[in-house]
Amino acid sequence: MFILTKFSDLVQISPEDFSKHSIVAIEDNINAKYANKVVQKIGLCISLYDVLWTSEGLIGHGTGLVNVNVEFRMIVFRPFKGEVMLGRIRSSTPSGIHLRTDFFDDIFIPYEELPQGAEYNHSEQIWIWNFDEERLFYDNHEMVRFQVIDEEWHDQTPAGPTQAEDTPAKTPYKIKGSMAAEGLGVCLWWDGA
Amino acid sequence: MKVVEAQAAVLSNYEVLQHLTQQKDRYKQRKRRGPPNLETVVRELIQYLQSYPNPLSQKPSTYTPGCISQLLERLSPYELSKGEVVMILNLRPASVAALNTVIEEMSERFSDEQQEEMVNIILEVLGQFEAAQPDANGNADEAAES
Repeated sequence: MFILTKFSDLVQISPEDFSKHSIVAIEDNINAKYANKVVQKIGLCISLYDVLWTSEGLIGHGTGLVNVNVEFRMIVFRPFKGEVMLGRIRSSTPSGIHLRTDFFDDIFIPYEELPQGAEYNHSEQIWIWNFDEERLFYDNHEMVRFQVIDEEWHDQTPAGPTQAEDTPAKTPYKIKGSMAAEGLGVCLWWDGA
Repeated sequence: MKVVEAQAAVLSNYEVLQHLTQQKDRYKQRKRRGPPNLETVVRELIQYLQSYPNPLSQKPSTYTPGCISQLLERLSPYELSKGEVVMILNLRPASVAALNTVIEEMSERFSDEQQEEMVNIILEVLGQFEAAQPDANGNADEAAES
């Protein structure tokens, strides 16, 4: 689920942070820039893991900023294809089920990835799995096990004036999952037995 | 920003939780806070890792720093892929049915006895939940069921 990614970046320490130890200032600076943000094709950055190398601090003309080149490793959330994870059901629509984890919201299970015999109940707005005469419900907030099958990236960089203004914002990183295989789906069904 | 190495290593949930709790303690000791975005994601991630049925939610923890290498050693005869072992560490499958979800084509690769053996190894090295789970989440699940 988590990987370490090695980055190199220029860290600028502003004068009000000079009272901090350099390493603390660098750590805060990197975390402020990366934590809880998605880097395209890398994943959701969580936190600084360690600092591998730093250059001398250099002060340029005109500003009081200390410039330091830093090489560091970040903890990144990036489940691999085929990984089985836990998540909670956020909402259901006829096109599929939206899942979330506490820290990541964009997980989608399309209807064709639900097990055979699953049907959508429009009045309750939930999916139901008909299995051996039994009706099993995909209730909201239920903990489920799912398998990652695909990922989708949308670069958030503005495209310039040609971009239509009312295009809905796309999430930068979206995971597509499956709950069709045996053992996947609501945890209670499998663990309770 | 430059990405030097997209994937330098894979971390298990246990290692991530370990790092985050150490970081939290360190911050507490020095009476300082990280940037707000870091505080948010760390709080939410710890909450995720410590909610039932995640094995890390168990108190006292059955995971120790040595158990990763121990598990690797005990499971080495089965020639599982790295991804499969990471999933076993993260999810701690407690039955053959649960193991089936994390191991690809399990019935073709392993005999029934081997599958049982693997479940037993996981149970011995990583522990298991008590039969009854009286914590808050367990109760919530029962309420949903009835």
